[in-house]
Amino acid sequence: MNQVIAMTAAASLLLAFGLWLMMPRGASVGRSLGTLLVAVSLGLFASQVPRLGNWANDAVFLILAGVTVLAAVATVTFRNPVYSAIWFALSLLGTAGLFLFQGAQFLGVATIVVYAGAILVTFLFVLMLANPDGHAFYDRLSWAPKLSAFTGALVVGILTLTVASVFQNPQPENRPQERIAMAALESNILAEQHMAHLGAELFSKHLVAVEVAGTLLLVALVGTVAIVAQIRKPVHGGGSSHG
Amino acid sequence: MDELALLQNYLIVGAFLFGIGLVGFFSRRNMIVIFLSAEMMLQGVSVSLVAWGRFHNNWGGQMLVIFILTVAACEAAIALAVVLTLFHKGGSLDIALWQQLREGNQPAYVDHEVPEERDEEKHWPRLTPSGIEPAPDLEDLTHRAHI
Repeated sequence: MNQVIAMTAAASLLLAFGLWLMMPRGASVGRSLGTLLVAVSLGLFASQVPRLGNWANDAVFLILAGVTVLAAVATVTFRNPVYSAIWFALSLLGTAGLFLFQGAQFLGVATIVVYAGAILVTFLFVLMLANPDGHAFYDRLSWAPKLSAFTGALVVGILTLTVASVFQNPQPENRPQERIAMAALESNILAEQHMAHLGAELFSKHLVAVEVAGTLLLVALVGTVAIVAQIRKPVHGGGSSHG
Repeated sequence: MDELALLQNYLIVGAFLFGIGLVGFFSRRNMIVIFLSAEMMLQGVSVSLVAWGRFHNNWGGQMLVIFILTVAACEAAIALAVVLTLFHKGGSLDIALWQQLREGNQPAYVDHEVPEERDEEKHWPRLTPSGIEPAPDLEDLTHRAHI
């Protein structure tokens, strides 16, 4: 256990330092060193995670997780917000792959359609609308990059350690979940008719929540229109003359 | 497949997405990138929830993620409306323009040095031209149906 703690602490420190080097903070020296440090730290973390028991599964998982996390790092460290958004799309594709790997087919597809297809493209629209020439000085600066990189790495390290220690349970007979797993899973959450099961669950047990979610969407729609309509109104005492 | 190992791995990936989104949310100055980071934190939570749902052989995790998607869509719509309004009022996507919203006892943040732009950062993604530009039609250019 001590070795795990030391390894996680070292990997988190490397992650913090690498993230700090990669952050936009005026000078852009050391970005490649930062990328290298982050990659090494991810490798350390990957060497710590438990294996899935089958090299093909391991390979698929590690590739998907690596793409997701590296694209996430690129999202928060790229200077150009358009590139940030595109890297975020790659991260979302990785997440969708992870969902599919878990057997959550609907969520995998919905993530691509709703997030990458709708939300992200709307973000890009606003980005292009608001910042057509693109090169703004505030994209080359960050608030307190040292502190925030350290905080983020601390959160990652603590969560990883918690996951590693809570589940440290070497006796297989102490894992009842695992013994019943496969047969039960295939009749419920990994059933062949995924959508039928999901729809039955969603529209029976969670029907009220579906209605509430629909109402929430309507309220958000009205609220958005109300907020944007404010732009058109002339501000009291001069100011904006557009619209 | 080792279900426990699968759960642990997914929780760690979720922790990474959450932590990296946190870093972006704390440190970036562009409002759009801040919202992207917030969405990334939601993604981290979603990954964890799906993993828990599979581990317990329960649909609850996936249900919750579906509602997270809904709430994220609402949040994105309102966030973009607010960003557009702020951009209209402030003329920039810089969140530091709105720092008078901070707590009263906090010092103001001042940019001490504005970094120069490097040459290799000046290029911008653009589409390759597809084919030859057709000759402009004067009728099309002057006709405005909606006025």
